[in-house]
Amino acid sequence: SAYVYMHTNILISFTLMQFTDKRFQPVHDLTIGVEFGARMITIDGKQIKLQIWDTAGQESFRSITRSYYRGAAGALLVYDITRRDTFNHLTTWLEDARQHSNSNMVIMLIGNKSDLESRREVKKEEGEAFAREHGLIFMETSAKTASNVEEANGIKIGPQHPTPSSTLSGSQGGQHAGGGCC
Amino acid sequence: MLYCCVFLGRFMGDMLDDSSVMARMQKKFWKTKQVLIKATGKKEDEYVVASDADLDAKLEFFRSVQSTCTELLKVIERYQQRITRLSQEENELGLFLHFQGEHDKTKAGNMMNATSKALCTSAKQRMALCAPLHRLHQEVETFRRRAIQDTLLTVTRMERARTEYRGALLWMKDVSQELDPDTYKQMEKFRKVQSQVRGTKTQFEKLKNDVCQKVDMLGASRCNMLSHSLCTYQVFYIWEF
Repeated sequence: SAYVYMHTNILISFTLMQFTDKRFQPVHDLTIGVEFGARMITIDGKQIKLQIWDTAGQESFRSITRSYYRGAAGALLVYDITRRDTFNHLTTWLEDARQHSNSNMVIMLIGNKSDLESRREVKKEEGEAFAREHGLIFMETSAKTASNVEEANGIKIGPQHPTPSSTLSGSQGGQHAGGGCC
Repeated sequence: MLYCCVFLGRFMGDMLDDSSVMARMQKKFWKTKQVLIKATGKKEDEYVVASDADLDAKLEFFRSVQSTCTELLKVIERYQQRITRLSQEENELGLFLHFQGEHDKTKAGNMMNATSKALCTSAKQRMALCAPLHRLHQEVETFRRRAIQDTLLTVTRMERARTEYRGALLWMKDVSQELDPDTYKQMEKFRKVQSQVRGTKTQFEKLKNDVCQKVDMLGASRCNMLSHSLCTYQVFYIWEF
């Protein structure tokens, strides 16, 4: 089996729980440093273990989270469409991600909480424009209704897995099928 | 159920016995490292420092309240001394003119008499300022001894918690360097550090909040106290002169 590492820069309670055990947890403890999730997926008949690192969004953890970018195959940059400030912070996160990872890391931009249309502060077009400008894949999702969550990961893992899996499986080495559970 | 708890308790006890000395040592190590960094003035993690910016601004204000109150006390004391001296001198000059006026039957004597009366009254009125000033001095002194001292206590406690928290962050940064969630040993260690960070963070944030609120209150109550005490002083000053 091959390993695909993904780091997600999660500013808000998002996909880790949703994606790994398809559950939405409205109350989410503040992430201390990083939380892990793992999931097996099948691409082209090959079993791939996806390891997800949900890094802390608080400023005081920023130097710590930098060490988590190392070796990542992809990053999900998530903002909250009902909070403009999370959108405004994207640039700094993107800089960090680009600076501390290898250059072929694929970054995907995600506007979360698309179910809360009435409280929307960031237009979908703005997200699209930002993604286009910085060469990111873009999608709006809702962790609550699980809309697009599978797709967000599916699209992303498909095209990118050949490159990183070959580089990473060796360096990380382990053979634990169960993976890190949180 | 009871058995279960007892068993779990025993199990936890064993685990703690095994690792508690080591864990305590490590905790101490990172805390000491943080103390050292601060004491030697080495550059701290800029993001950690930035995340405390609001707190540091409050602390700066607190220090200014502290120093200006001490300064104010000194000034009031000096002011009172000068007023007393001035009043004495005025009074003596008044008495002297009075004495001279008694012996002088010319117009100059009359004028000296009038001036002496004015000077003596002025001296008496000036002394009247001492009462509200004394009251102000007392209030500022009480404020310094109670309110500032109490806030200082919370600040000291917060600083201790901050050192613990930053020490834990240093530790976390260290174990994060080569983290692999699939390696049990590493994860076990990481979880330990994580819980240390979580614990110290909760404690620090509670005290941080306390400090911010107390400093705000301190500023407001100082304004209140000064406007109240200075009111009586002003009334005296304006009406008596």
